[in-house]
Amino acid sequence: MKTRIFLPLAGAALLALTGCHTSMNTIENAQKEGQRQMISDSRVITDSSLAKKVSFVGINQSMTPGGFLKVQIELLNRKHSLQRFSYQFEWFDANGMQINNIVSPTVPDQIEGGESKFISSVAPTTACKDFRVKFIED
Amino acid sequence: MKKTVLLSLLAAAIPFVGTGCRTPAHYIQTGGRESLVNVNQINIQDFIEAANTATSDLLASGALDKVANPPAVLAISRIVNNTGQQIDTDLLIKKIRVAVLNSGKAQVTTTMGLGGTAEDPMAKGLQQEAEFKSDQKTTRTPDFTLSGKIIQTTAKDGNTSQSTYSFQLSLTDAKTGLAVWENEKEITKQGGRPSVGF
Repeated sequence: MKTRIFLPLAGAALLALTGCHTSMNTIENAQKEGQRQMISDSRVITDSSLAKKVSFVGINQSMTPGGFLKVQIELLNRKHSLQRFSYQFEWFDANGMQINNIVSPTVPDQIEGGESKFISSVAPTTACKDFRVKFIED
Repeated sequence: MKKTVLLSLLAAAIPFVGTGCRTPAHYIQTGGRESLVNVNQINIQDFIEAANTATSDLLASGALDKVANPPAVLAISRIVNNTGQQIDTDLLIKKIRVAVLNSGKAQVTTTMGLGGTAEDPMAKGLQQEAEFKSDQKTTRTPDFTLSGKIIQTTAKDGNTSQSTYSFQLSLTDAKTGLAVWENEKEITKQGGRPSVGF
């Protein structure tokens, strides 16, 4: 009788525990044709919890045909649950002055457990030489 | 006596109780994380994100660079609102115009508009006057026109409702009539209605 009650309860508890867990599997071509131009980065981590869920893998950049700097950041969720976050790009000129950009949104985004994803942005002017991206947990 | 004091205290406390939970008026960053989100409405952060995506894609495409005399001249054509709400499409287009102008890749004409209407009638009058006096055509014909559509798609399941807003834009070469750049940004919002509410 006890087992009859215990088993459904244990099953429900297991479901409740694993219900929020998601993890992503991926497959890709092994011999890459494209070469990413990776750049060294500087990180300031004030939220270590977010840094595990939205960890930075690396940054690569390129120039568009029109001479705009394009930046791509690879993120990886090292946890097994979906994480919501927001990010914002800031751009700076050769003198380190921030370029005022009317369309610089705080972009809401999400990353599944175990997922690797890219976020990218194009500089608003050709004068932009440097950038900074802010991340915050939602 | 005691009753009177108690009643006075209660009466004095009522305004505090009434306003205690209310957030006092304060400034927030436009389009920031504190902005209100409505499922059945395009919020300001949606316009900013859609404009940012379109501008980044347009600048990266290099479409504006393919003109004989840079910067390119852009005319704004029809932007259709196919959503269930009344919106001013300039909330999207003006942001793109400012960003494109600041990039140095294009300038937007304000004296040439859809159906012969000018956004700036005074500028158009002065331009025509200058052309009449000098007997020379000074107006630059636009290289490109920008047109678009905003579409809303809704879905509902029980208490959960969802809206997808599609921001579609096309840049057309004014000489050939062919679209040289197109972009679509979709923003989806989902939310539930509380089962008990006021």
